Amino acid sequence: MSALNTRVSLLALACAFSSYSVMAEDSSLTNPNISAVLDGYYQTGDRPLAEREEGFGLGETELALSANIDDNFYGKITTVIESADGETELNLEEAFIQTLALPSGLSARAGRFLSDIGYLNNQHKHTDSFTERPAAYRAFLGNHYYDDGIRLSYVAPTDLYWTMGVEAFSGDSLRAADEHGDRDFDDVGVFTALTKIGGDIGVESSWQLGLSYLRNENGLAYAEEHEDEEEEVADEHEHSHSASYTGENTYIADFVYKWAPNGNYKYQNLTLSGEYFRVTDIFGEEPGHIDDGLDDHEISDDDYHEGWYLSSVYQFSPSCIRRCALWRSGYL
Amino acid sequence: MRINSKLLLAVAVMPLLFTATAKAELNVFACEAEYASLAKTLAPSADIYSATTAMQDPHQVQARPSLIAKMRQADLVVCAGADLEIGWLPMLQMKASNPKVKSTDEGLFFAADQVETLDKLASVERSMGDVHAKGNPHLHLDPERMLTIAQALSAKMIELDPQNSSEYQQSLADFSQRWQAKIPQWQEQAKGLAGKKVIAYHSSFRYLFNWAGIEQVADLEPKPGLAPTSSHLASLLTRAEQGDVMAVIVASYQDERGAKWLGERANLPVLMLPMSVGGNDQSKDLFSLYDSLFALLNGVK
Repeated sequence: MSALNTRVSLLALACAFSSYSVMAEDSSLTNPNISAVLDGYYQTGDRPLAEREEGFGLGETELALSANIDDNFYGKITTVIESADGETELNLEEAFIQTLALPSGLSARAGRFLSDIGYLNNQHKHTDSFTERPAAYRAFLGNHYYDDGIRLSYVAPTDLYWTMGVEAFSGDSLRAADEHGDRDFDDVGVFTALTKIGGDIGVESSWQLGLSYLRNENGLAYAEEHEDEEEEVADEHEHSHSASYTGENTYIADFVYKWAPNGNYKYQNLTLSGEYFRVTDIFGEEPGHIDDGLDDHEISDDDYHEGWYLSSVYQFSPSCIRRCALWRSGYL
Repeated sequence: MRINSKLLLAVAVMPLLFTATAKAELNVFACEAEYASLAKTLAPSADIYSATTAMQDPHQVQARPSLIAKMRQADLVVCAGADLEIGWLPMLQMKASNPKVKSTDEGLFFAADQVETLDKLASVERSMGDVHAKGNPHLHLDPERMLTIAQALSAKMIELDPQNSSEYQQSLADFSQRWQAKIPQWQEQAKGLAGKKVIAYHSSFRYLFNWAGIEQVADLEPKPGLAPTSSHLASLLTRAEQGDVMAVIVASYQDERGAKWLGERANLPVLMLPMSVGGNDQSKDLFSLYDSLFALLNGVK
């Protein structure tokens, strides 16, 4: 049960991290923005549920194309090439269009994209300050959650930043383990609702708080498979983009605080961030299950997973980053 | 758990019920302090917000929550353009979901679209550093260009808010008259500076130097956007030893350390010039910003 609680001391260097981008304020289909990111690393030790392995390795190589399709729509495609376990994978991580001209602070996005839940999830991994996502992301969201679906967002016309969004996704990568392959999953399995507020404190500091809720119709693991499933998860070392721990309801609370002297990010800046995950309703009974009174394990409503992290990053020029983090994930 | 999701939905729908109260005044979002100041002069009763101060590098701004909230409410967004804000403006526009300010056909205004920029490049490669193909975007320190920009910005305001056109026309007339009266004074002050040589940080003062006839013989940055390196500083010291350099110049948002190192060794004065309105105590508007710039440059002995 404590697979993720092991504290592993690691030295990870994400060197040779290079990015190239061609951008224009007035991108169009004939002049799209193009960006490529290469990420080579060397790391000692292994992290549980991690994508990176010990030694030299190549992280995600990302190629993205984006453009304003016309005055009303923006489109983006991001492909990611990964090599893991000696195999090279090509993944389409984003392929979406977004509205630019809906009135009253509304916008809609459809296709494949990164869910806006939590703080880190909607950010590309190459922009992270750390080589791996926090354990909570690795366990509950399969590193970062992108999926096929739609989103509707709203930004309130207030001086205090306030945005809200709802999303619906197919939810394939967040399905509970289905050992026998006979489970009838919902096609639209994941619904989210989220809100964020934020603002400035003087010239030097800014903050944001977020609350997200993720409903996973396919997240409940059936009690009959309870024991087996856990065994399987504990042994799992293979490369996977799916969540390892699922539940019907996921709640995420996140905060970010940023500071720079005079608000000038050029030479020094500090970012503090943290998120808390709670996944509830993990086990349920299969529909049609008849309680014969012979089950020797009880299904408790109190079962849950939780995980959290805190991180602080201090960046100072020329291009040095000092970072420390407290990764934790309990009850796993 | 059903209750929870319903609650969240209720919370999500609630603000849609509040409709934005109709505002009589133009709501202006300026990317830089100089354009906030210009907008204030041209539309004294407008509600104006500046995304950056003179102490912040406009190349590197966080697309932070407060900026999204301000842009969401804007009728007009005024920026330097020429890709200066490329790292953050497009993201803000997308997150703010405000169709009024998405294109220059409507409430988006780029100063660089109104005048000729200097140092346009036919081709740009990443190895050249942080350069702009559309030319140098720091164009607010050329008095003549600024006058053209003011005329175009005033026209944009009238286009967006025709009811108050007489107010905008009056403000522009006042500004133009005062500005044109100032230009000969600044020309007088620039006389003694013509032909002088300086070493400066980045091409921040390109237009000012161009207008005043000052020559920037070297840059503290080895390449645009890169911090000074010790080997590069050493080569600047060799250059400074030729004895023809008047001063080492940095802008209010730039790091002074490299300049001070060079200044001490080459025995040159180091000048920190205000990059925009608010860059020093004297620079309270565009007029006093220019006054302060020329006073500081002429103060070098």
